[in-house]
Amino acid sequence: MSRLLTLRRPGSTGGDLDERLRGLAAAVDAGAGRLPAAELATATAVVDRAAQRLGLGVGAAVVALAGATGSGKSSLFNALVGTDLSAVGVRRPTTATAIACWWGETSADPLLDWLAVPRRHAAGVDPALDGLVLLDLPDHDSTERSHRAEVDRLVAVVDLLVWVLDPQKYADAAVHERYLVPLAGHSDVMLVLLNQADRLPPTARESCLVDLRRLLAAEGLAGVPVLATSARTGEGVPELRRLLTDRVASRRAAAERLAADVVAVTAALARYCGGRAAGVPAGASADVAAALAAAAGVDTVVAAVDRSHRSRAALATGWPPLRWLRRLRPDPLRRLHLGGAPVEGSRTSLPPASAAARAGVRTAVRALGATAGAGLPDPWPELVSTAARRDEAALPDRLDAAVAGADLGPDRRPRWWALTGAAQRLLATVALVGGLWLLVLFGWSYLQLGDPPVPHVGRLPVPTLLLVPGVLAGLLLALLSRRLAGWGARRRARAARRRLEDRVDRVAAEAVLEPVEEELAAYERWCAALRRARG
Amino acid sequence: MTDRAADRPLLDALPALRDRVAELRYPLDLAGATVARREQAAVAGQVADYLLPRLRQIDAPLLVVVGGSTGAGKSTLVNTLVGAPVSPAGVLRPTTRAPVLVCSPTDAGWFTDDRVLPGLARTTGDARDARSLRIVPAAAVPAGLALLDAPDIDSVVVANRELAAQLLAAADLWLFVTTAARYADAVPWDLLHTAAERSTALAVVLNRVPAEAIGEVTSHLRSMLHDNALDGAELFVIPETTLVDGALPAAAAGPVRAWLAALAADADSRAGVIRATLTGALDALDRRIPALAAAADEQRSGADRLRAAVVAAYELAAGEVEDGVRDGSLLRGEVLARWQEFVGTGEFMRTLESRIGQLRDRVWAAVTGRPVAGTPVRDALESSVEDLVVDAADRAAERSVASWRAEPGGRSLLAGAGSAGLGRSAPELRRRLGAEIRAWQGFVLGLVAEEGADKRTAARIASLGLNGAGLAVMLGVFAHTGGLTGGEIAVAGGTSVAGQRLLEAVFGDQAVRTLAVEARVDLMRRVQRLLVDDAARFEVPLEEAGVVSGAAVREALGVLVRARRAEART
Repeated sequence: MSRLLTLRRPGSTGGDLDERLRGLAAAVDAGAGRLPAAELATATAVVDRAAQRLGLGVGAAVVALAGATGSGKSSLFNALVGTDLSAVGVRRPTTATAIACWWGETSADPLLDWLAVPRRHAAGVDPALDGLVLLDLPDHDSTERSHRAEVDRLVAVVDLLVWVLDPQKYADAAVHERYLVPLAGHSDVMLVLLNQADRLPPTARESCLVDLRRLLAAEGLAGVPVLATSARTGEGVPELRRLLTDRVASRRAAAERLAADVVAVTAALARYCGGRAAGVPAGASADVAAALAAAAGVDTVVAAVDRSHRSRAALATGWPPLRWLRRLRPDPLRRLHLGGAPVEGSRTSLPPASAAARAGVRTAVRALGATAGAGLPDPWPELVSTAARRDEAALPDRLDAAVAGADLGPDRRPRWWALTGAAQRLLATVALVGGLWLLVLFGWSYLQLGDPPVPHVGRLPVPTLLLVPGVLAGLLLALLSRRLAGWGARRRARAARRRLEDRVDRVAAEAVLEPVEEELAAYERWCAALRRARG
Repeated sequence: MTDRAADRPLLDALPALRDRVAELRYPLDLAGATVARREQAAVAGQVADYLLPRLRQIDAPLLVVVGGSTGAGKSTLVNTLVGAPVSPAGVLRPTTRAPVLVCSPTDAGWFTDDRVLPGLARTTGDARDARSLRIVPAAAVPAGLALLDAPDIDSVVVANRELAAQLLAAADLWLFVTTAARYADAVPWDLLHTAAERSTALAVVLNRVPAEAIGEVTSHLRSMLHDNALDGAELFVIPETTLVDGALPAAAAGPVRAWLAALAADADSRAGVIRATLTGALDALDRRIPALAAAADEQRSGADRLRAAVVAAYELAAGEVEDGVRDGSLLRGEVLARWQEFVGTGEFMRTLESRIGQLRDRVWAAVTGRPVAGTPVRDALESSVEDLVVDAADRAAERSVASWRAEPGGRSLLAGAGSAGLGRSAPELRRRLGAEIRAWQGFVLGLVAEEGADKRTAARIASLGLNGAGLAVMLGVFAHTGGLTGGEIAVAGGTSVAGQRLLEAVFGDQAVRTLAVEARVDLMRRVQRLLVDDAARFEVPLEEAGVVSGAAVREALGVLVRARRAEART
């Protein structure tokens, strides 16, 4: 016995169950915070119970005799043990607390401590039954509600369930609806006895067994062995003992029970997995990006970039006498606090997005969430769309930071600005010289000092030649530069738009797409883990 | 078959009460709704199956319903009492599926019509339909008494349990059969509690008692009956015996037979039993109906809470839309454009008016500290308003569904077919919104036409002023060539013209602002209507639920109580 136990390390039952339990634990992890807590708690309880039960060694098999009051559980228990260990009586209900009897050298005390069954008896060594821990449960259908609670507790943890029915009570709703139907997946770890068979004449007994088998089959328990027994005559008891001996000898009882638990809980959770996520369609994410760009004021900033460029070009290349006028007007980018080099984390002075733009963002985000989660089983679509909106409140700030941190185009001054500026200064100087010269000439003649000598080029006097073409050329050059600056401004605006849109796209990816994809990944993880648990 | 005059008001009050009870609905899964649904069916059933027939004919034979667990030996007992195999007994559980009524041939007339248990079809043959009642006349049954072998109360066959409960509610006397193995079962005791509560006349048969256990089991059962306030119940003990031709030995069933025969023979004690059960059942209504009414009121207030949640969510949505359009630039752009189209201002005025409007906004923003919204979006007005409203409606729908989910009653409604797609605004909302906004634009045009009718001339003159300005320029040119110092004229003309333009623009902008307020009010009225329609989708499941308050049923009970008092006085 003890040698057999050491052959198999406690806590291990072969790869399959361990792997499925690990899958179930992973599924609980993936579903935590997403799926109904109560159902996940059931799964967690199965995993925990399995760890505890396997830790106590799989050499022993805990077999419980369960059934209605008066069906003869205690009599059968005594017949199996060989002594009147459990009190038998006519006063209903008789047994109030579970009583245990165990066979073998290895003490079943740790196991019974775990099962919280204090009334216990060591039957000694019996080669056939070594490892068997037999429990006599209280009834589940009497007016004593505490008995039912005790049965519920132990039915959930024992390795093998022996349902003791009798000809009077075999079709009671109490046992079928409360225990047998919910345990339909546990047919491998159950036996059904029709006890007190001696009370029926042989023909009636046969039809009774057929009816019971029909009933069980209708409940999905077709595979459960059904045995006619009688504790009074001893009929069927050797056969029952043989069945129990086989189960104990196989050392698989605990693992089979736990596997059935895993199957049952997995089947219950399977409705949360079905269908593959369609993923985020490109159209929906493009819509979100466009709505975010509108809300971020990309158009406003791009227009400001355009105007700012023109303004600075005019300052550098405009006609000097009128340049100062430009200085009176603020730089459009500076007004938005975007004048300098990009600073991550600073706040712009952009006006907040309009209500319509904000609504547009929410509508696009909602549509994305809805399409991404479409086709998944509840509650996943809801989870996906909640994930899409998780960072909604932080979006204005993130968009502003994205705009503030955008490089709105090189702040360099094109070389032609300097050249043109120099040319403008030169032309202005020439015009100024011409003008001053003419002023001096005007003063000269006003003071009647006679005609001063004025050099001529051809028929035209030099000062006039300096002033008029100087002014005209300056104006012409300013006009030309303005055209040129307009071209440059458009180019810079386009570049700024590209950079802004890139950054807004990144915000869309981080604040909207990533949470959605995280949720879809959690769904995939959940399904994969559930498949592992299903084996 | 007498109708006693004193029973008349009672006989009017009961059907009314039954109808009011039938109108109650418990569709919301509130705490106690399942109990209330069951209780409603039970009350309605008892009024129809028992109270009405018994009140109409107080001297009809006493109906003894033999009920109990499966396998307790009900059919065997009935067969023994009748002296013939009228109800099949057997080892397969449950045995009896169709109820069997055995009565004296002289009494058969009382039961063949649908006076009692009108919901069950009558058969005389061997029909095994669970919803039929087989009537077997048997000479062994004394006149004035009928035995009804009911199906079991606790087997896996749900229909049996329901029918048994219905039959027990229709009984004048319960003959409750249990066994030594069964007598402490929880299910029968739940029914016995009900019997105690309703003061139903009760006799208990403890069947299949092993000879050695008679003393202990009988005394235990007696103490249990005592603990459950059922001391008055007659208790018969039948020891476990072998059956003779499927019947109990005469000696075993003797006491039961004798007791029933005595009851049948004594009209006074029979009437006493009938009166006791009838009074008990009527008294029980005093407790059962208020409980049903209270549960109905809870349903009603639950439905009201759900309704209020939707209203609150959509009111919030209307507030959101209002906030969105209150920021004037959205609507003023539209109104201004219509104004300019209507009064036919030239390009110059157009620019000037827009500029002045923008300037005012900026000054206003500086004074109030409210930020200026982004670029005016007149071109996208339709889509902007659509976005605003659809988003607000979507969020209102979401909020409503969320608060329904949080309410225990709301979840069941959301699961219904009438609730599909409630989580978002109606799909046709955007289309209807588009039509509504176009209608609103028509309204704005009409508004502008009306408001601007008297200002049209002024506006025309103002726009004529543009030509005037051209004239002034020509004059200036003429004056210059004519040798006059034209600069003065030009400046004078220019300032006066510009000043007038400015005045007109300011005046126009003011008119536009006034109109914009009216336009907003109208837009909000339209949006409000659409939102109300969208919220009305939530009414569909609520209407389907058809919750009524408990007032009507309470009132019907009041009428019944007064009728009983009047009867007691006579």
